[in-house]
Amino acid sequence: MTTAVPAIAAFDLTKRYGGVAVVSNISFSLRAGSKIALLGHNGAGKSTLLGLLSTLITRTSGDASIAGHAISTNPIELRRNIGVLAHLPMVYEELSPLENLEFFARLYEVPEAATRIEELLRAVGLWRRRREPTSILSRGYHQRLALARAVLHRPAVLLLDEPETGLDPAGIALLDQLALDNPAVTVLAATHLVDRVDRWADGVLRLDRGCVVEAPDPVTAEVSS
Amino acid sequence: MSSALAVFRKDLQLAWRDRSGWLSALAFATISVLVYSFAFDLATADIRPLLPGVLWTTFLFSGIFATSQSFQRESETGTFDAMLVAPVSPSTIYVGKLISNLISLLIVELALLVLTTILFDTPLLTGELVLVVFVGTVGYVSLATLLSTLGSRGSARAVLLPVLALPLLVPLLIASVRATGAALGAPIDSAPWLLLLVIFALWSTIGGALLFPVVSER
Repeated sequence: MTTAVPAIAAFDLTKRYGGVAVVSNISFSLRAGSKIALLGHNGAGKSTLLGLLSTLITRTSGDASIAGHAISTNPIELRRNIGVLAHLPMVYEELSPLENLEFFARLYEVPEAATRIEELLRAVGLWRRRREPTSILSRGYHQRLALARAVLHRPAVLLLDEPETGLDPAGIALLDQLALDNPAVTVLAATHLVDRVDRWADGVLRLDRGCVVEAPDPVTAEVSS
Repeated sequence: MSSALAVFRKDLQLAWRDRSGWLSALAFATISVLVYSFAFDLATADIRPLLPGVLWTTFLFSGIFATSQSFQRESETGTFDAMLVAPVSPSTIYVGKLISNLISLLIVELALLVLTTILFDTPLLTGELVLVVFVGTVGYVSLATLLSTLGSRGSARAVLLPVLALPLLVPLLIASVRATGAALGAPIDSAPWLLLLVIFALWSTIGGALLFPVVSER
């Protein structure tokens, strides 16, 4: 008998800066494999929520869990289950794409890393340029490398903050292929490209001034035998 | 430990590719020692009592050049965040960066000791002096590595590291200068100063590893 564990769950998650609540008592839960668009105006708290879930930002109160691992009790296991793609590509300019992925593969202890890195560099179109310094690559290729870094360790959950930034149509197709259309991965993605949301998202989490105003149906404690 | 080694290896690669950090430290150290050598009367005076001050002021400011860039660039490009979302303890990242900064500064210090030996015609590469420099550098770099995390995020980061580091480093500097003086033949007992250096190095290394997760929080 197994109990369905939400891929992502937040319980009264709150972040205040100097008494100002940027994210306020947010609660929601997402099913494994769901693709959720995180929507809201600038300053609604989308990036802060993604920062809290990825443990980059320390919560003021409340808690959250990813794949059953809570921020409060098991942040390292939580981080093993997430891939993060943000505004900045978060890759080393001085290193080559190959060296970047080799470094992150060591941090994530990726099994058979060489094979996985080759597979991803070929997928994002960087295999032939794998030994060139990342600094000479275009913005779009930086974002493709960032995408490869985010999915390198085959995370169960992807937290994406405007992932389309800098990508051309071919790059966006890669994003769809590696992340948004991958049935094995749960995606929570902040985006302003509302026109595209219907194509990939099966639900919306909408924030306004740090509060949830629209959320997918909560995951109930389903029990199956 | 493999994660700390990965961070260390990566930092050494970065330091080699972007040489601005340790080259600035080396240039500053060379210019400082040259200026000191012009200022002192090397022909007639015994300059050994002055050498501890010469060495440690130069080490101190070279270290600020060498360590301040450790987190600054990573903070600007988001790669520090990329490490923080990896499934490793932040203390592991600290250890990797500490070893990398330590090796960079020790190389600069070794070059400086050789240069000072030549310019001041005084043998400095003795076992006791090298031990004092090594232990003092461990204490200094472990504190500077911790504080450079804070310095990498503020808008006044260029001044934050020296302003934060200097008051905390006073005990280390006193002990380093005294122990160096003893190693150069001054009539003082080096043992208590060396003991203080060891205690400071242990305190700042352990404290740095424990406090790093706190100072890297947002």
